[in-house]
Amino acid sequence: MKNIATFIMALLPFIGYAQQSDNTSEYKKRVLETTEIDFLSSYYSQDGENAAVSGGIGTENLTDATGAIIVSIPLNDDDILTIDAGVSAYTSASSSNINPFDGKGVANAFVASSGASRKDVWSNFTASYSHSSDNRNQIWSGKFSVSSEYDYFSLGGGASFTRLFNEKNTELSLNASVFLDTWSTIYPVELRKPGSGNSNEEDDDHESFNIADYTITGNPDYHPLFTPFNSTSRNSYTLGLGVSQILSKKLQIALLADFIVQDGLLSTPFQRVYFADVEDSFIENFHLADDVERLPDSRFKVALGSRLHFYINEVFVLRTYYRYYYDDWGILSHTGSLEIPVKITPHLTLYPSYRYYNQTAADYFAPYNQHFSTEKYYTSDYDLSKYHSNQYGIGVSYTDVFTTTHIGRVAIKTIDLKYNRYERNSSFSSGMFLLGVKFIVD
Amino acid sequence: MLQVGYIIDVNINHSCYRICVLAFLTNHTLYKMKKIFFALGILLLISSCAVVKEYEKINLNDPDMTLSDRKSDRNITTFHAYREAAAGANGGKTGGGCGCN
Repeated sequence: MKNIATFIMALLPFIGYAQQSDNTSEYKKRVLETTEIDFLSSYYSQDGENAAVSGGIGTENLTDATGAIIVSIPLNDDDILTIDAGVSAYTSASSSNINPFDGKGVANAFVASSGASRKDVWSNFTASYSHSSDNRNQIWSGKFSVSSEYDYFSLGGGASFTRLFNEKNTELSLNASVFLDTWSTIYPVELRKPGSGNSNEEDDDHESFNIADYTITGNPDYHPLFTPFNSTSRNSYTLGLGVSQILSKKLQIALLADFIVQDGLLSTPFQRVYFADVEDSFIENFHLADDVERLPDSRFKVALGSRLHFYINEVFVLRTYYRYYYDDWGILSHTGSLEIPVKITPHLTLYPSYRYYNQTAADYFAPYNQHFSTEKYYTSDYDLSKYHSNQYGIGVSYTDVFTTTHIGRVAIKTIDLKYNRYERNSSFSSGMFLLGVKFIVD
Repeated sequence: MLQVGYIIDVNINHSCYRICVLAFLTNHTLYKMKKIFFALGILLLISSCAVVKEYEKINLNDPDMTLSDRKSDRNITTFHAYREAAAGANGGKTGGGCGCN
Protein backbone atom coordinates (compact mmCIF):
# COMPACT_ATOMS: atom_id res chain seq x y z
CA MET A 1 0.00 0.00 0.00
CA LYS A 2 2.90 2.32 0.70
CA ASN A 3 4.10 2.01 -2.88
CA ILE A 4 0.62 2.69 -4.18
CA ALA A 5 0.39 5.80 -2.07
CA THR A 6 3.78 6.92 -3.41
CA PHE A 7 2.55 6.48 -6.94
CA ILE A 8 -0.64 8.43 -6.27
CA MET A 9 1.34 11.25 -4.70
CA ALA A 10 3.58 11.32 -7.75
CA LEU A 11 0.48 11.74 -9.89
CA LEU A 12 -1.00 14.66 -7.93
CA PRO A 13 1.38 17.38 -9.18
CA PHE A 14 0.50 16.33 -12.70
CA ILE A 15 -3.17 16.88 -11.96
CA GLY A 16 -2.37 20.32 -10.64
CA TYR A 17 -0.26 21.12 -13.71
CA ALA A 18 -3.14 20.24 -15.99
CA GLN A 19 -5.36 22.50 -13.94
CA GLN A 20 -3.29 25.56 -14.88
CA SER A 21 -3.70 24.91 -18.57
CA ASP A 22 -7.51 24.73 -18.59
CA ASN A 23 -8.68 27.74 -16.69
CA THR A 24 -11.15 29.36 -19.05
CA SER A 25 -13.99 31.36 -17.56
CA GLU A 26 -17.39 30.29 -18.77
CA TYR A 27 -21.06 30.46 -17.92
CA LYS A 28 -21.60 28.97 -14.49
CA LYS A 29 -24.44 26.49 -14.63
CA ARG A 30 -25.83 25.10 -11.40
CA VAL A 31 -24.41 21.66 -10.69
CA LEU A 32 -27.90 20.45 -9.79
CA GLU A 33 -30.88 22.52 -10.87
CA THR A 34 -33.49 21.20 -8.45
CA THR A 35 -33.86 18.77 -5.61
CA GLU A 36 -34.00 15.16 -6.79
CA ILE A 37 -35.55 12.27 -4.91
CA ASP A 38 -34.89 8.64 -5.75
CA PHE A 39 -36.90 5.75 -4.36
CA LEU A 40 -35.12 2.45 -4.78
CA SER A 41 -36.60 -0.88 -3.85
CA SER A 42 -35.82 -4.47 -4.55
CA TYR A 43 -37.02 -7.94 -3.76
CA TYR A 44 -34.41 -10.66 -3.72
CA SER A 45 -34.69 -14.39 -3.24
CA GLN A 46 -32.09 -17.15 -3.39
CA ASP A 47 -31.85 -20.85 -2.83
CA GLY A 48 -29.14 -23.47 -2.78
CA GLU A 49 -27.87 -26.48 -0.87
CA ASN A 50 -24.50 -25.34 0.44
CA ALA A 51 -25.25 -23.20 3.46
CA ALA A 52 -22.16 -21.89 5.21
CA VAL A 53 -23.96 -21.83 8.57
CA SER A 54 -24.24 -25.61 8.47
CA GLY A 55 -20.71 -26.19 7.19
CA GLY A 56 -21.31 -26.39 3.45
CA ILE A 57 -24.55 -28.37 3.36
CA GLY A 58 -28.10 -27.25 3.97
CA THR A 59 -30.64 -24.81 2.72
CA GLU A 60 -29.54 -21.38 1.54
CA ASN A 61 -33.08 -20.12 1.13
CA LEU A 62 -33.20 -16.38 1.73
CA THR A 63 -35.51 -13.51 0.87
CA ASP A 64 -34.74 -9.84 1.22
CA ALA A 65 -36.88 -6.74 0.68
CA THR A 66 -35.04 -3.44 0.50
CA GLY A 67 -36.26 0.13 0.32
CA ALA A 68 -34.19 3.29 0.17
CA ILE A 69 -34.74 6.98 -0.37
CA ILE A 70 -32.01 9.22 -1.73
CA VAL A 71 -32.50 12.97 -1.63
CA SER A 72 -30.05 15.24 -3.44
CA ILE A 73 -30.38 18.89 -2.47
CA PRO A 74 -28.58 21.74 -4.27
CA LEU A 75 -27.39 24.05 -1.51
CA ASN A 76 -26.18 26.68 -3.99
CA ASP A 77 -24.72 26.76 -7.49
CA ASP A 78 -21.75 24.61 -6.51
CA ASP A 79 -22.69 22.41 -3.57
CA ILE A 80 -24.90 19.34 -3.22
CA LEU A 81 -25.98 17.58 -0.06
CA THR A 82 -27.19 14.01 -0.48
CA ILE A 83 -29.03 12.03 2.15
CA ASP A 84 -29.41 8.30 1.63
CA ALA A 85 -31.48 6.22 4.04
CA GLY A 86 -32.41 2.60 3.57
CA VAL A 87 -33.85 -0.44 5.28
CA SER A 88 -33.47 -4.06 4.33
CA ALA A 89 -35.54 -6.82 5.91
CA TYR A 90 -34.55 -10.41 5.31
CA THR A 91 -35.44 -13.91 6.29
CA SER A 92 -32.72 -16.55 6.05
CA ALA A 93 -33.17 -20.28 6.43
CA SER A 94 -29.46 -20.85 6.86
CA SER A 95 -29.15 -18.19 9.55
CA SER A 96 -32.11 -19.74 11.31
CA ASN A 97 -29.98 -22.85 11.76
CA ILE A 98 -27.59 -21.04 14.05
CA ASN A 99 -30.03 -22.67 16.44
CA PRO A 100 -31.70 -25.55 14.58
CA PHE A 101 -33.25 -27.03 17.75
CA ASP A 102 -36.55 -25.18 17.92
CA GLY A 103 -38.51 -28.19 19.10
CA LYS A 104 -40.96 -27.88 16.22
CA GLY A 105 -39.60 -30.74 14.19
CA VAL A 106 -36.55 -32.89 13.65
CA ALA A 107 -33.51 -30.61 13.31
CA ASN A 108 -32.00 -30.82 9.83
CA ALA A 109 -29.63 -28.56 7.87
CA PHE A 110 -32.05 -28.61 4.95
CA VAL A 111 -34.99 -27.40 7.03
CA ALA A 112 -35.35 -23.85 8.34
CA SER A 113 -35.68 -23.37 12.07
CA SER A 114 -37.96 -20.87 13.73
CA GLY A 115 -35.04 -19.52 15.78
CA ALA A 116 -34.55 -15.81 16.31
CA SER A 117 -31.80 -15.63 13.69
CA ARG A 118 -34.21 -16.51 10.89
CA LYS A 119 -34.81 -12.82 10.24
CA ASP A 120 -33.22 -9.45 10.78
CA VAL A 121 -33.38 -5.84 9.65
CA TRP A 122 -30.42 -3.92 8.26
CA SER A 123 -30.67 -0.15 8.30
CA ASN A 124 -28.34 2.39 6.77
CA PHE A 125 -27.88 6.15 6.72
CA THR A 126 -25.39 7.96 4.51
CA ALA A 127 -24.80 11.69 4.16
CA SER A 128 -22.54 13.05 1.46
CA TYR A 129 -21.51 16.49 0.40
CA SER A 130 -19.90 17.60 -2.84
CA HIS A 131 -18.43 20.87 -4.01
CA SER A 132 -17.61 21.80 -7.60
CA SER A 133 -15.22 24.52 -8.65
CA ASP A 134 -16.46 27.51 -10.66
CA ASN A 135 -15.22 26.07 -13.93
CA ARG A 136 -16.61 22.64 -12.95
CA ASN A 137 -13.24 21.06 -13.51
CA GLN A 138 -12.68 20.05 -9.91
CA ILE A 139 -15.06 18.22 -7.61
CA TRP A 140 -14.43 17.49 -3.95
CA SER A 141 -16.74 15.25 -1.96
CA GLY A 142 -16.95 13.62 1.43
CA LYS A 143 -19.34 11.17 2.99
CA PHE A 144 -20.25 9.59 6.28
CA SER A 145 -22.28 6.44 6.79
CA VAL A 146 -23.65 4.32 9.58
CA SER A 147 -25.41 0.98 9.33
CA SER A 148 -26.53 -1.64 11.76
CA GLU A 149 -28.17 -5.00 12.12
CA TYR A 150 -28.61 -7.23 15.15
CA ASP A 151 -25.09 -8.61 15.27
CA TYR A 152 -23.22 -6.03 13.21
CA PHE A 153 -22.52 -2.30 13.34
CA SER A 154 -20.61 -0.28 10.77
CA LEU A 155 -19.27 3.28 10.64
CA GLY A 156 -17.89 4.59 7.38
CA GLY A 157 -16.29 7.69 5.99
CA GLY A 158 -14.71 8.70 2.72
CA ALA A 159 -13.47 11.50 0.53
CA SER A 160 -12.83 11.89 -3.17
CA PHE A 161 -11.32 14.37 -5.58
CA THR A 162 -12.13 14.53 -9.28
CA ARG A 163 -10.27 16.58 -11.84
CA LEU A 164 -11.50 17.18 -15.39
CA PHE A 165 -9.25 18.62 -18.05
CA ASN A 166 -8.52 18.50 -21.74
CA GLU A 167 -11.84 20.35 -22.37
CA LYS A 168 -13.56 17.85 -20.09
CA ASN A 169 -12.44 14.98 -22.30
CA THR A 170 -10.34 13.48 -19.54
CA GLU A 171 -11.28 12.85 -15.95
CA LEU A 172 -9.07 11.70 -13.12
CA SER A 173 -10.45 10.75 -9.75
CA LEU A 174 -8.99 9.66 -6.46
CA ASN A 175 -11.03 8.36 -3.57
CA ALA A 176 -10.42 6.85 -0.20
CA SER A 177 -12.81 5.27 2.25
CA VAL A 178 -12.72 3.63 5.64
CA PHE A 179 -15.25 1.31 7.28
CA LEU A 180 -14.95 0.52 10.97
CA ASP A 181 -17.20 -2.41 11.77
CA THR A 182 -17.99 -4.24 14.97
CA TRP A 183 -19.41 -7.73 15.41
CA SER A 184 -21.60 -8.90 18.23
CA THR A 185 -20.36 -12.45 18.00
CA ILE A 186 -23.10 -15.05 17.76
CA TYR A 187 -21.90 -18.65 17.68
CA PRO A 188 -23.71 -21.85 16.71
CA VAL A 189 -25.94 -22.77 19.61
CA GLU A 190 -24.15 -26.03 20.47
CA LEU A 191 -20.85 -24.15 20.90
CA ARG A 192 -22.17 -21.55 23.31
CA LYS A 193 -21.20 -21.87 26.93
CA PRO A 194 -23.59 -19.80 29.01
CA GLY A 195 -21.74 -18.01 31.76
CA SER A 196 -18.36 -18.47 30.08
CA GLY A 197 -17.63 -14.81 30.69
CA ASN A 198 -17.06 -13.62 27.13
CA SER A 199 -18.63 -10.17 27.23
CA ASN A 200 -18.66 -9.91 23.44
CA GLU A 201 -20.71 -13.05 23.07
CA GLU A 202 -24.37 -12.46 22.34
CA ASP A 203 -27.33 -14.76 22.40
CA ASP A 204 -29.88 -14.44 19.64
CA ASP A 205 -32.44 -16.62 21.36
CA HIS A 206 -34.49 -15.90 24.40
CA GLU A 207 -34.90 -19.57 25.20
CA SER A 208 -31.86 -21.16 26.78
CA PHE A 209 -30.26 -24.17 25.15
CA ASN A 210 -28.73 -26.94 27.22
CA ILE A 211 -27.00 -29.65 25.26
CA ALA A 212 -27.47 -32.03 28.19
CA ASP A 213 -31.19 -32.04 27.45
CA TYR A 214 -30.58 -33.77 24.11
CA THR A 215 -29.46 -37.21 23.03
CA ILE A 216 -26.25 -37.10 21.03
CA THR A 217 -25.89 -39.78 18.40
CA GLY A 218 -22.85 -40.81 16.38
CA ASN A 219 -20.00 -39.93 18.70
CA PRO A 220 -21.74 -39.22 22.03
CA ASP A 221 -18.50 -37.82 23.50
CA TYR A 222 -18.94 -34.37 21.94
CA HIS A 223 -16.03 -32.05 22.84
CA PRO A 224 -15.48 -29.47 20.06
CA LEU A 225 -12.16 -27.63 19.64
CA PHE A 226 -13.96 -24.31 19.69
CA THR A 227 -12.57 -21.18 21.36
CA PRO A 228 -14.30 -17.78 21.04
CA PHE A 229 -12.74 -15.01 18.96
CA ASN A 230 -10.78 -12.36 20.82
CA SER A 231 -11.34 -9.53 18.35
CA THR A 232 -14.77 -8.31 17.30
CA SER A 233 -13.75 -5.49 14.97
CA ARG A 234 -13.40 -5.53 11.21
CA ASN A 235 -11.85 -2.60 9.39
CA SER A 236 -11.80 -1.96 5.65
CA TYR A 237 -9.65 0.63 3.90
CA THR A 238 -10.08 1.40 0.22
CA LEU A 239 -7.99 3.52 -2.10
CA GLY A 240 -9.52 4.06 -5.52
CA LEU A 241 -8.19 5.55 -8.72
CA GLY A 242 -10.22 6.23 -11.83
CA VAL A 243 -9.49 7.63 -15.27
CA SER A 244 -12.09 8.22 -17.93
CA GLN A 245 -11.46 9.39 -21.42
CA ILE A 246 -13.58 10.43 -24.38
CA LEU A 247 -12.17 8.58 -27.36
CA SER A 248 -14.51 9.94 -30.05
CA LYS A 249 -17.93 11.57 -30.39
CA LYS A 250 -19.50 8.15 -29.74
CA LEU A 251 -17.01 6.26 -27.65
CA GLN A 252 -15.67 6.65 -24.14
CA ILE A 253 -13.76 4.51 -21.69
CA ALA A 254 -13.09 4.38 -17.97
CA LEU A 255 -10.38 2.52 -16.10
CA LEU A 256 -10.93 1.88 -12.40
CA ALA A 257 -8.64 0.50 -9.75
CA ASP A 258 -9.50 -0.27 -6.14
CA PHE A 259 -6.96 -1.38 -3.54
CA ILE A 260 -8.64 -2.74 -0.44
CA VAL A 261 -7.11 -3.77 2.86
CA GLN A 262 -9.19 -5.48 5.51
CA ASP A 263 -8.17 -6.48 8.99
CA GLY A 264 -9.76 -7.79 12.17
CA LEU A 265 -12.38 -10.49 12.46
CA LEU A 266 -12.85 -11.57 8.84
CA SER A 267 -14.41 -14.89 9.81
CA THR A 268 -18.14 -15.18 10.31
CA PRO A 269 -18.61 -16.46 13.87
CA PHE A 270 -21.70 -18.57 13.23
CA GLN A 271 -20.49 -20.50 10.19
CA ARG A 272 -19.78 -24.10 11.17
CA VAL A 273 -16.88 -26.26 10.04
CA TYR A 274 -16.65 -30.07 10.25
CA PHE A 275 -13.38 -31.98 10.38
CA ALA A 276 -12.78 -35.25 8.55
CA ASP A 277 -10.49 -36.46 11.37
CA VAL A 278 -13.04 -35.88 14.14
CA GLU A 279 -15.85 -38.32 14.80
CA ASP A 280 -19.25 -36.92 13.87
CA SER A 281 -21.82 -36.09 16.53
CA PHE A 282 -25.49 -35.41 15.87
CA ILE A 283 -28.55 -34.16 17.65
CA GLU A 284 -31.60 -35.42 15.78
CA ASN A 285 -30.43 -35.13 12.13
CA PHE A 286 -28.22 -32.10 12.66
CA HIS A 287 -24.44 -32.44 12.60
CA LEU A 288 -22.90 -30.67 15.60
CA ALA A 289 -20.10 -28.23 14.80
CA ASP A 290 -16.46 -29.18 15.27
CA ASP A 291 -15.51 -25.51 15.12
CA VAL A 292 -16.48 -22.28 13.39
CA GLU A 293 -14.89 -20.80 10.30
CA ARG A 294 -11.32 -19.55 10.90
CA LEU A 295 -9.84 -17.13 8.38
CA PRO A 296 -6.76 -14.89 8.49
CA ASP A 297 -7.14 -11.53 10.19
CA SER A 298 -6.03 -9.56 7.15
CA ARG A 299 -6.83 -9.53 3.46
CA PHE A 300 -5.50 -7.46 0.58
CA LYS A 301 -7.64 -7.13 -2.54
CA VAL A 302 -6.91 -5.59 -5.91
CA ALA A 303 -9.72 -4.90 -8.37
CA LEU A 304 -9.01 -3.46 -11.80
CA GLY A 305 -11.99 -2.63 -13.96
CA SER A 306 -12.78 -1.00 -17.25
CA ARG A 307 -15.92 0.26 -18.92
CA LEU A 308 -16.25 0.93 -22.63
CA HIS A 309 -19.45 2.55 -23.84
CA PHE A 310 -20.31 3.03 -27.50
CA TYR A 311 -23.22 5.04 -28.86
CA ILE A 312 -24.12 2.94 -31.89
CA ASN A 313 -27.03 5.06 -33.11
CA GLU A 314 -30.23 6.70 -31.85
CA VAL A 315 -31.67 3.29 -30.95
CA PHE A 316 -28.76 1.25 -29.56
CA VAL A 317 -26.03 1.88 -27.03
CA LEU A 318 -23.38 -0.70 -26.16
CA ARG A 319 -22.22 -0.82 -22.53
CA THR A 320 -19.41 -3.22 -21.68
CA TYR A 321 -17.57 -3.89 -18.44
CA TYR A 322 -14.66 -6.07 -17.45
CA ARG A 323 -12.99 -6.59 -14.05
CA TYR A 324 -9.91 -8.46 -12.97
CA TYR A 325 -9.75 -9.26 -9.27
CA TYR A 326 -7.04 -10.75 -7.12
CA ASP A 327 -6.59 -11.17 -3.39
CA ASP A 328 -4.02 -12.69 -1.08
CA TRP A 329 -6.41 -15.44 0.04
CA GLY A 330 -5.80 -17.05 -3.34
CA ILE A 331 -8.90 -15.87 -5.14
CA LEU A 332 -8.60 -14.74 -8.73
CA SER A 333 -11.68 -13.63 -10.58
CA HIS A 334 -12.86 -12.30 -13.91
CA THR A 335 -16.13 -10.44 -14.45
CA GLY A 336 -17.55 -9.41 -17.78
CA SER A 337 -20.87 -7.82 -18.58
CA LEU A 338 -22.70 -6.53 -21.58
CA GLU A 339 -25.78 -4.35 -21.71
CA ILE A 340 -27.44 -3.01 -24.84
CA PRO A 341 -30.02 -0.30 -24.08
CA VAL A 342 -32.63 -0.20 -26.86
CA LYS A 343 -34.59 3.02 -27.20
CA ILE A 344 -38.02 1.87 -28.33
CA THR A 345 -39.60 5.33 -28.14
CA PRO A 346 -38.31 8.67 -26.84
CA HIS A 347 -39.79 7.68 -23.47
CA LEU A 348 -39.18 3.94 -23.27
CA THR A 349 -35.88 2.08 -23.19
CA LEU A 350 -35.32 -1.66 -22.86
CA TYR A 351 -32.25 -2.94 -21.00
CA PRO A 352 -31.27 -6.51 -21.88
CA SER A 353 -28.07 -7.52 -20.12
CA TYR A 354 -25.76 -10.45 -19.53
CA ARG A 355 -23.01 -10.88 -16.95
CA TYR A 356 -20.44 -13.63 -16.54
CA TYR A 357 -18.42 -14.14 -13.38
CA ASN A 358 -15.87 -16.71 -12.27
CA GLN A 359 -13.54 -17.13 -9.34
CA THR A 360 -10.99 -19.59 -8.04
CA ALA A 361 -11.37 -20.99 -4.53
CA ALA A 362 -9.82 -19.40 -1.49
CA ASP A 363 -6.81 -21.28 -0.13
CA TYR A 364 -8.80 -22.03 3.02
CA PHE A 365 -11.92 -23.49 1.43
CA ALA A 366 -12.95 -27.14 1.51
CA PRO A 367 -16.42 -28.68 1.17
CA TYR A 368 -18.46 -30.21 3.99
CA ASN A 369 -16.50 -32.44 6.36
CA GLN A 370 -13.26 -32.30 4.35
CA HIS A 371 -11.14 -30.02 6.51
CA PHE A 372 -8.68 -31.37 9.06
CA SER A 373 -8.35 -30.22 12.62
CA THR A 374 -4.63 -29.67 12.08
CA GLU A 375 -5.24 -26.83 9.62
CA LYS A 376 -4.78 -23.27 10.81
CA TYR A 377 -7.48 -21.68 8.63
CA TYR A 378 -10.64 -23.28 7.29
CA THR A 379 -14.04 -22.42 5.86
CA SER A 380 -16.82 -24.24 4.04
CA ASP A 381 -18.47 -21.04 2.81
CA TYR A 382 -19.28 -21.68 -0.86
CA ASP A 383 -19.05 -17.94 -1.57
CA LEU A 384 -15.30 -18.61 -1.28
CA SER A 385 -15.36 -21.75 -3.44
CA LYS A 386 -14.43 -22.12 -7.08
CA TYR A 387 -17.41 -21.47 -9.32
CA HIS A 388 -18.71 -19.49 -12.25
CA SER A 389 -22.04 -17.80 -12.69
CA ASN A 390 -24.26 -16.40 -15.40
CA GLN A 391 -26.66 -13.54 -14.88
CA TYR A 392 -29.40 -12.56 -17.30
CA GLY A 393 -31.31 -9.32 -16.93
CA ILE A 394 -34.12 -7.47 -18.60
CA GLY A 395 -35.30 -4.02 -17.66
CA VAL A 396 -37.47 -1.24 -18.90
CA SER A 397 -37.16 2.45 -18.20
CA TYR A 398 -39.72 5.20 -18.68
CA THR A 399 -38.30 8.70 -18.95
CA ASP A 400 -40.32 11.89 -18.92
CA VAL A 401 -37.74 14.47 -19.93
CA PHE A 402 -40.17 17.37 -19.54
CA THR A 403 -41.57 16.04 -16.24
CA THR A 404 -45.18 16.49 -17.25
CA THR A 405 -46.61 14.20 -14.54
CA HIS A 406 -46.84 16.05 -11.24
CA ILE A 407 -47.84 15.03 -7.75
CA GLY A 408 -48.06 18.40 -6.05
CA ARG A 409 -44.64 20.03 -6.41
CA VAL A 410 -43.03 16.73 -7.24
CA ALA A 411 -42.72 15.48 -10.80
CA ILE A 412 -41.81 12.00 -12.02
CA LYS A 413 -38.68 11.98 -14.14
CA THR A 414 -37.86 8.29 -14.60
CA ILE A 415 -39.23 4.90 -13.63
CA ASP A 416 -36.94 1.86 -13.87
CA LEU A 417 -38.07 -1.73 -13.53
CA LYS A 418 -35.67 -4.63 -13.85
CA TYR A 419 -35.36 -8.34 -13.21
CA ASN A 420 -32.10 -10.28 -12.91
CA ARG A 421 -31.68 -14.03 -12.81
CA TYR A 422 -28.40 -15.32 -11.37
CA GLU A 423 -27.24 -18.95 -11.64
CA ARG A 424 -24.05 -20.61 -10.47
CA ASN A 425 -22.72 -23.88 -11.79
CA SER A 426 -23.85 -25.37 -8.47
CA SER A 427 -27.18 -25.59 -6.73
CA PHE A 428 -27.21 -21.85 -6.02
CA SER A 429 -29.53 -19.52 -7.92
CA SER A 430 -31.25 -16.25 -7.19
CA GLY A 431 -33.54 -13.63 -8.64
CA MET A 432 -33.97 -9.94 -7.99
CA PHE A 433 -36.67 -7.45 -8.93
CA LEU A 434 -35.57 -3.83 -8.88
CA LEU A 435 -37.74 -0.74 -8.96
CA GLY A 436 -36.39 2.78 -9.07
CA VAL A 437 -38.37 6.01 -9.35
CA LYS A 438 -36.79 9.41 -9.70
CA PHE A 439 -38.68 12.57 -8.81
CA ILE A 440 -37.68 16.17 -9.12
CA VAL A 441 -39.04 18.93 -6.94
CA ASP A 442 -40.16 22.07 -8.80
CA MET B 1 12.83 -7.32 -4.68
CA LEU B 2 11.73 -6.17 -8.10
CA GLN B 3 12.04 -2.50 -8.94
CA VAL B 4 10.50 -1.03 -12.06
CA GLY B 5 10.70 2.58 -13.24
CA TYR B 6 8.56 4.31 -15.86
CA ILE B 7 9.05 7.48 -17.83
CA ILE B 8 5.84 8.57 -19.51
CA ASP B 9 5.52 11.48 -21.97
CA VAL B 10 2.05 12.97 -21.89
CA ASN B 11 0.77 15.64 -24.27
CA ILE B 12 -2.21 17.53 -22.96
CA ASN B 13 -3.68 20.62 -24.59
CA HIS B 14 -0.80 20.70 -27.06
CA SER B 15 1.80 21.09 -24.34
CA CYS B 16 4.28 18.41 -23.58
CA TYR B 17 4.89 17.54 -19.97
CA ARG B 18 7.36 14.95 -18.85
CA ILE B 19 6.30 12.92 -15.92
CA CYS B 20 8.72 10.70 -14.16
CA VAL B 21 6.95 8.12 -12.14
CA LEU B 22 8.84 5.56 -10.18
CA ALA B 23 6.87 2.62 -8.99
CA PHE B 24 8.69 0.30 -6.66
CA LEU B 25 6.94 -3.00 -6.87
CA THR B 26 7.81 -5.45 -4.20
CA ASN B 27 5.84 -8.59 -4.88
CA HIS B 28 3.86 -10.48 -7.44
CA THR B 29 0.59 -8.69 -6.70
CA LEU B 30 2.08 -5.26 -7.08
CA TYR B 31 3.92 -6.39 -10.18
CA LYS B 32 0.57 -6.97 -11.83
CA MET B 33 -0.48 -3.45 -10.94
CA LYS B 34 2.15 -1.98 -13.24
CA LYS B 35 0.03 -3.09 -16.18
CA ILE B 36 -2.90 -0.92 -15.19
CA PHE B 37 -0.69 2.06 -14.49
CA PHE B 38 0.91 1.61 -17.88
CA ALA B 39 -2.58 1.49 -19.38
CA LEU B 40 -3.40 4.76 -17.63
CA GLY B 41 -0.35 6.30 -19.25
CA ILE B 42 -1.46 5.08 -22.65
CA LEU B 43 -4.91 6.50 -22.00
CA LEU B 44 -3.46 9.89 -21.22
CA LEU B 45 -1.47 9.73 -24.42
CA ILE B 46 -4.68 9.06 -26.30
CA SER B 47 -6.21 12.11 -24.68
CA SER B 48 -3.90 14.37 -26.64
CA CYS B 49 -5.24 13.26 -29.98
CA ALA B 50 -9.01 13.12 -29.40
CA VAL B 51 -10.55 16.35 -28.16
CA VAL B 52 -14.30 16.39 -28.53
CA LYS B 53 -15.81 19.87 -28.09
CA GLU B 54 -18.74 20.47 -25.77
CA TYR B 55 -21.14 21.03 -28.67
CA GLU B 56 -20.07 17.68 -30.15
CA LYS B 57 -20.99 15.68 -27.06
CA ILE B 58 -24.69 15.23 -27.71
CA ASN B 59 -24.32 11.45 -28.05
CA LEU B 60 -21.87 11.17 -25.17
CA ASN B 61 -24.33 13.04 -22.95
CA ASP B 62 -26.98 10.37 -23.44
CA PRO B 63 -27.81 9.00 -19.94
CA ASP B 64 -27.02 5.47 -21.14
CA MET B 65 -23.47 6.56 -21.96
CA THR B 66 -22.72 7.44 -18.35
CA LEU B 67 -19.60 5.56 -17.25
CA SER B 68 -21.18 4.05 -14.15
CA ASP B 69 -24.01 1.78 -13.16
CA ARG B 70 -27.46 3.30 -13.04
CA LYS B 71 -28.62 4.22 -9.56
CA SER B 72 -31.47 1.71 -9.77
CA ASP B 73 -28.90 -1.09 -10.17
CA ARG B 74 -27.32 -0.37 -6.81
CA ASN B 75 -28.90 -3.28 -4.97
CA ILE B 76 -27.78 -5.82 -7.56
CA THR B 77 -24.22 -4.52 -7.23
CA THR B 78 -24.46 -4.88 -3.46
CA PHE B 79 -25.76 -8.43 -3.86
CA HIS B 80 -22.72 -9.26 -5.99
CA ALA B 81 -20.39 -7.83 -3.32
CA TYR B 82 -22.03 -10.08 -0.70
CA ARG B 83 -22.34 -13.33 -2.64
CA GLU B 84 -19.10 -13.18 -4.61
CA ALA B 85 -15.54 -13.00 -3.37
CA ALA B 86 -14.60 -10.23 -5.78
CA ALA B 87 -15.56 -6.63 -5.07
CA GLY B 88 -14.52 -3.17 -6.14
CA ALA B 89 -13.68 -1.32 -9.34
CA ASN B 90 -17.36 -0.95 -10.14
CA GLY B 91 -18.46 1.96 -7.99
CA GLY B 92 -20.13 -0.45 -5.60
CA LYS B 93 -19.52 -1.63 -2.08
CA THR B 94 -15.94 -2.30 -1.01
CA GLY B 95 -16.48 -2.58 2.74
CA GLY B 96 -18.93 -2.18 5.57
CA GLY B 97 -21.53 -4.76 6.55
CA CYS B 98 -20.97 -8.47 6.86
CA GLY B 99 -23.22 -9.78 4.08
CA CYS B 100 -23.13 -13.03 5.95
CA ASN B 101 -26.70 -14.30 5.64
